[in-house]
Amino acid sequence: MAKSKTPPPSTRNARTRSRAGFWRLFFRVSAVGLVLLAGWMVYLDAIITSRFEGRRFEVPSRVYARPLELYDGASVSAAALERELALSGFRQGDGVKPGSYRRRGGQFWISTRGFRFPDGQEPRRRLTLTIAGDQVVDLRVLAGEASPIVRLEPAQIGGIYPSHQEDRILVRLDQVPPLLPAALMAVEDRHFYEHFGLAPLSIARAMLANLKAGAIVQGGSTLTQQLVKNFFLSQEQTLARKANEALMSLLLEWHYDKDDILETYLNEVYLGQAGTRSINGFGLASQFYFGESLAGLEAHQIALLVGMVKGPSYYNPRRHPERALKRRNLVLSEMEEAGLISAAEANRARGLPLGVSERPSYSENRYPAYIDLVRRHLARDYREEDLRSEGLRIFTTLNPSIQYAAEYAVRDTVPRLATGEVRDALEAAMVVTAKDTGEVLALVGGRDPAFAGFNRALDAERPIGSLIKPFIYLTALSHSDRYTLITPVRDQSFVLEFDDGRRWQPKNYDGEEHGEVPLHRALAKSYNLPAVRTGLDLGVDAVAETLQAFGVTSPISRYPSMLLGSVSMTPVTVAQIYQGLATSGFNTPLRTIREVTDAQGEPLSRYPLEVDQVADPAAVHLVQYAMQEVMQEGTGRSAYYTVPRQLTLAGKTGTTDDGRDAWFAGFSGDLLAVAWVGRDDNGPTSLTGATGALPIWTRFMASLPQHSFSPVVPDGVSYHWVNDERQALTGEHCENARYMPFITGSEPEQHVSCSGALERRIRSWFEGLFQ
Amino acid sequence: MNMGRSTRVGALATLLLLAGCAGSPGSIYVPVGGGTGSTSEPPPPPRLPPASPEPEAPAPAQVPERAPSPSYRESGDTLSPAALSLVREADRLLAQGRVAEAITRLERAQRIAPRSAEVYFKLSEAYVQANQLARAEQFTLKGLSLAGNNTRLQRAGWLLLADIRRARGNVAGADQAEARAAAL
Repeated sequence: MAKSKTPPPSTRNARTRSRAGFWRLFFRVSAVGLVLLAGWMVYLDAIITSRFEGRRFEVPSRVYARPLELYDGASVSAAALERELALSGFRQGDGVKPGSYRRRGGQFWISTRGFRFPDGQEPRRRLTLTIAGDQVVDLRVLAGEASPIVRLEPAQIGGIYPSHQEDRILVRLDQVPPLLPAALMAVEDRHFYEHFGLAPLSIARAMLANLKAGAIVQGGSTLTQQLVKNFFLSQEQTLARKANEALMSLLLEWHYDKDDILETYLNEVYLGQAGTRSINGFGLASQFYFGESLAGLEAHQIALLVGMVKGPSYYNPRRHPERALKRRNLVLSEMEEAGLISAAEANRARGLPLGVSERPSYSENRYPAYIDLVRRHLARDYREEDLRSEGLRIFTTLNPSIQYAAEYAVRDTVPRLATGEVRDALEAAMVVTAKDTGEVLALVGGRDPAFAGFNRALDAERPIGSLIKPFIYLTALSHSDRYTLITPVRDQSFVLEFDDGRRWQPKNYDGEEHGEVPLHRALAKSYNLPAVRTGLDLGVDAVAETLQAFGVTSPISRYPSMLLGSVSMTPVTVAQIYQGLATSGFNTPLRTIREVTDAQGEPLSRYPLEVDQVADPAAVHLVQYAMQEVMQEGTGRSAYYTVPRQLTLAGKTGTTDDGRDAWFAGFSGDLLAVAWVGRDDNGPTSLTGATGALPIWTRFMASLPQHSFSPVVPDGVSYHWVNDERQALTGEHCENARYMPFITGSEPEQHVSCSGALERRIRSWFEGLFQ
Repeated sequence: MNMGRSTRVGALATLLLLAGCAGSPGSIYVPVGGGTGSTSEPPPPPRLPPASPEPEAPAPAQVPERAPSPSYRESGDTLSPAALSLVREADRLLAQGRVAEAITRLERAQRIAPRSAEVYFKLSEAYVQANQLARAEQFTLKGLSLAGNNTRLQRAGWLLLADIRRARGNVAGADQAEARAAAL
């Protein structure tokens, strides 16, 4: 600062003095002004940096589906593979460029990008494979590290967001299509990478234009200024505001580098309004207007979004399609002029329709019910804040193909199950797990799977009805000295009188009684009276203990009515307890998460496979026999109208009074699925397990290639030909002969021979010869 | 005990290599539609069964003597080449003491071959090395439940179980398992 000199004495002293006074005053005021300005700058700096930091350093967690593993024999249809490739961000192309694939008939050429998994890097590869009979054959690696097994990069299925950014789909600069920032700069701020936050020339030009027009028609704001403006939401344009914005822009540029500013801009810019909810950021806007992720957008779609920056409501493509189209084509021309796209591309793009989706979608979480379960599992080990802000990577067990099949089965079947009012009130839920790993592969929380509302798969606690019966009979068959599959049980009504004088008289579903029936048939046909009698013989406590061993954690009220399934469970709990039945008595805790890593890919937690033997495999094997009989001869047999006969299945129906709940739980060699149908108000439906839940279950099973259920005979079990009416061993070709498993030592001792079966026997000897 | 374990684990490794080449029929795989000209299109909406309560099943074309009976089989699946490659990778990692990484490979193998006893025995071996014997015991039991009538697998499983139980202080259980192995 210049020092004021002592003025020389002269005749013009007074004037000089007054001039000196002016300067003194001037400097004083300036000094005060500078101090005030500095203070003001410090204040603005604090505001803008805290605002910016808050946005920048809260990185949401990313949630991934399970990666598709490709190897000879992997079960996947060509259509499912194609869907899977699209979900993982592959484009149809030459199959040479990383991230592209080519298909000719059943043969695929795929060029992977490589991916860092928690257990190591999956390198970039080019490969070819053929799908034949819904299986991978002839997988060959054409370039890159050879391996008999290759993992595709997993599809990102959602994010867990900071609460004030719940409405964002955050994108990273290196993940957006490069055309987007380039087009944005071409239209809004050509010198973004050169200026210091302000572009005086543009401002001058804009001011001139505004003066000429007598109103504000041009902004001349840099992207930095626009970002600052966006932080403070108000659109009023006073001079003081403008000055503040300019100062804050300078400060932002001083603190952060251009890429940080650009990335934040992409995530913050205002791009529309849906009721009271504002659409901020290109990620959400892409979802909102196109129903697609930003990475999948084409030039004409990018141009529309870029064009909308100028006036999101004025150029709203849903409300003012013509204006929007004009604006988009203008942007396309600017992109062409800037050399971002070729003339041919620009021409083609200008000819395309807007391509806006009919219904706005707000979320990239395609699978809200599934993500809900993932969040609950994560909540056991992670704080909500960390999930929302630490950029964790969460590797789930979701199988997109199976989720697709489950959603399809629910959405398409439910409306056909009833008519009128009941149809409108019907709701459904479905849980699918991998039979031997306990991994939850798919979850449907309601008849509209995309709707993130009440999650019935997790929260609808409903009586399970006859789904309890396999556990009653398992308890019985564990006492091989007292029960075998052919033990006669009485299907005859009785009355139970309680101490307080109340009476209980259970009935069969159809009201009929069948006298003495062998145990296996009582289960297959789901007769109530033998189940209650058997349960009472063993004791309600014993059955409750079996349920607990198989994974029921909530208290079970131990009344006799429990034996008819008055105990309530959620579909997920049912899936848990049926896991033990499907795997020969090994309880396998259900999992949705394999691993969690931090943002850099360092492992934080693993959720390993666990098995725990909770029942004698021999007794479970007998129950599995009867549960297969359910499908072949019992209450589940209508499944085979839809499912091919070669696919052996096992399962059980469940129905509660007046059709308030219809259940089906069952499994193939690979998959275990539970379906529930009912009303949220718990009203009657006239559906049964077989007519309400089984059609969904069946349609699901029929749409996926898989292995038959065929359990390995455990130690201590042997098969015999028996006559189950007479509880005796018999000849293979006798009438009523069944080949049935027995726990060694419990098989019948007496033998009945059959007369008059000779003709049949002779025929059977020739059977193999002439076929 | 350590000595015994390592020799048995060695025997198990040899067994696995043999099993990989044995090639017995695996599970029955059913493509969509039962394999009659499997489709490449998305699942065609299958027809809904009639809404009226369950009419009698129409007799299939080939008219079997009796209803199809429930299915079972005498042994589990053998390891596919893909699963075997992961098991071998796990073996290398185990030899270097990188147990956690070996377990991730074995879990991948288990997802590919969930019905083969070998993969569970391998997991058991890894958990023995990690000194998590309770888990190891459970995986051995799971493997045994899939060993079926394969006496070699059964013997390996029972001996493994005997070692683990002894290490856990369950002498009676160990003797019992050893007796089972001897009886084969």
